[in-house]
Amino acid sequence: MSQLKVILQFSGGAELLFDKIKKREVELPVLEKYLPQINKSEWSIRELLVWMKDNLLKERPELFLQGDSVRPGILVLINDSDWELYGELDYKIQNGDAIMFISTLHGG
Amino acid sequence: MDRVTVLEEEIANLRMILQQKEAELYELKKECIRESHAQLGSTNHTTPELNNLLKTHCSARLPKWAIVRYSRQILLPDIGVKGQEKLCSARVLVVGAGGLGCPAAVYLAGAGVGDIGIVDYDDVEITNIHRQILHSERDECMSKAESAAHKLRSINSHIKVTPYNVQLDSSNAVDIASGYDVVLDCTDNVPTRYLLNDLCVMTGLPLISGSALKMEGQLTIYGYRADRNCNEKNASYRGPCYRCIFPTPPPPQAVGSCSANGVAGPVPGVIGTLQALEAIKMIVGLTHEKMLIERMLLFDGEDMTFKIVNLRGQNQQCAVCSQTPSITRLIDYEAFCKSQAKEKPITLPVTERRRVEKQKRMTGKSYYGFRKTDRDKRAWVQDVPKSERKIGPPCSSDLCQKGTARHCNEFDEEARKEMFRHFWHDLDWKGKRDYVKTLVDVVPPKRRRKKDAISRKGDSKLYHLRNKGERLLVCRLMFLNTLGLKEAMLRSWLTCTDKPRSPKKPLKSLNVDSYIDALPVCPPKCEICRNSCVQIRYLNLSHVKNIYQLYVEYMKEMKSRNISPASRKTFCKVVSLRNLRVFKPKNENDVCDLVSQHNAIPSYSYQNVDIGKEGLNHDMPTEYFYGEDQLLL
Ligand SMILES: [Zn+2]
Ligand SMILES: [Zn+2]
Ligand SMILES: [Zn+2]
Ligand SMILES: [Zn+2]
Repeated sequence: MSQLKVILQFSGGAELLFDKIKKREVELPVLEKYLPQINKSEWSIRELLVWMKDNLLKERPELFLQGDSVRPGILVLINDSDWELYGELDYKIQNGDAIMFISTLHGG
Repeated sequence: MDRVTVLEEEIANLRMILQQKEAELYELKKECIRESHAQLGSTNHTTPELNNLLKTHCSARLPKWAIVRYSRQILLPDIGVKGQEKLCSARVLVVGAGGLGCPAAVYLAGAGVGDIGIVDYDDVEITNIHRQILHSERDECMSKAESAAHKLRSINSHIKVTPYNVQLDSSNAVDIASGYDVVLDCTDNVPTRYLLNDLCVMTGLPLISGSALKMEGQLTIYGYRADRNCNEKNASYRGPCYRCIFPTPPPPQAVGSCSANGVAGPVPGVIGTLQALEAIKMIVGLTHEKMLIERMLLFDGEDMTFKIVNLRGQNQQCAVCSQTPSITRLIDYEAFCKSQAKEKPITLPVTERRRVEKQKRMTGKSYYGFRKTDRDKRAWVQDVPKSERKIGPPCSSDLCQKGTARHCNEFDEEARKEMFRHFWHDLDWKGKRDYVKTLVDVVPPKRRRKKDAISRKGDSKLYHLRNKGERLLVCRLMFLNTLGLKEAMLRSWLTCTDKPRSPKKPLKSLNVDSYIDALPVCPPKCEICRNSCVQIRYLNLSHVKNIYQLYVEYMKEMKSRNISPASRKTFCKVVSLRNLRVFKPKNENDVCDLVSQHNAIPSYSYQNVDIGKEGLNHDMPTEYFYGEDQLLL
């Protein structure tokens, strides 16, 4: 099993929920071992969010997640493009992907 | 301090004169613009390139002065004379005259955008000025829209600027936007952003949407339609709208604001400036791939990065911009977003705020007055802005001038200003009242038609002002204007007596009285209490153990009868005022809940207030019971 490294980026205030770190590189564990119950071998964004909730998100998960997806008002970008173009939660994460979470701003 | 006040007033007056003269000049300029423009072409602003422009492009639609004035941008191939023509006839609506709206509007005015509308309901606050570059210290408390419009006119007197000092909402948005071609979203809240998006989709206008908070900014264009741009090859192309990307509003607790989270001034400056640039590009007709359509700019001032990300395209299922929209008219956006469009002001505790406002009122400053709320006629809110006290103009009546009785013309401006200053700055409230009372003589009518008959003729008043200690008769207007008073204030002072205020009216017991009267009562079970003429009666209800349960019963009954119940506090107060108590003995020996010693086994008493030596005195103040009832709840 090859290793799976991804770059996670946060902006627009989403970084405040992740120790104020705007960019971090993480290595995801083998999925069969991490989530044996789901019986899948490939990481998708859906599992990534679970992993982030368990490992990175320390407090107030409701400001980041809603149901099994991100909350309204957070834009997810995979390699600088809207995740909608990639199938959203079902996108199969590739080694080296940059996944960005942007909280939209409303001030002016 | 005196000098400061004097200077402030002088400057305010001069400013008014300046404004009038500016307006006059603007009108004059508009009239003679054609005559003066004929000569403008030959001024020393010209360069060979410009002469070339003038030779080849002096179109009928763009006069020479405009080619000179806008020459530095006309030289750009993307703009050119054609583009400038479009700019001069373009109509742009800037919503929000804040951190984004100010820089955006500055560049639009500078570029010669022919018609700029600027919407903002707010007033300039000192905390705005670090980022809202159209406003300055002296504009504090002025309407932001007015202040911005004034500055924009001074930047470019050739353009039309329309301030809208209103809060944009579903009822007025369509009317306001109908006269414009492009809308800039420079607002600071989620409801207005959804409102603007839906408005722009419904009216087919492009929405250039900027936002900024702390050190970050975001910028993109929503609702673009290629069919409105003849340079587009594919006229059916449409960009996404705000709802295509954010169908659901964010939870209110996840939304930050400049007043709560802060913002670095230049950050909205960058974004607002780029909004203006995108608007200019849009107006001159650049095609969508050159603009921030389906793309979003992320600016982070902290690590100084600009990043462009690709957004999704228009959503065929979008609730507002698809072929079959489910939203076809503007809705209630505050309800939709579960948040308010107005930033909530920082709230002081009510009593402290009242004190502060009262202090302002008493020293003649602008303050917030009270009004009854629409929903609950008994509740008062303190949000009615009242203007500061100002000295009015002196008496100009011919009657006062000619006659000898009134001395209005003996007071020069200096003396009047000093009187006004003394009145509002040196005297306390009672001092002001006494001051007024000593200067106004109330004269009853000289004769009545019939003795003791009710006459409609009121007392007449004689007004005086002091000139070097001498009490001189003046007219009513002179008196009121000099002290900056209004008739109503004066009347209330003159009729006011120093009587102490009447004690608070008895508690309104609403429907509690009748409810309690219908309940069965019995005398105390305790023999000692019963024999000592105690006034206490006990409610005899088998299923009610304490007053809390009784209140629940009461609520149930009121609800079933569709009557709005009294509050628990009122309810308890009425019960205790009637010397009624609820007492459920825990066992046979538990007979008295007032004095523990009356019980055979004192330790069983559940009431922990030790009445001790006064124990037999049952004429206790009702507050005592009231207090205990509170404890029981
Ligand atoms: Zn404000
Ligand atoms: Zn849409
Ligand atoms: Zn007069
Ligand atoms: Zn007793």
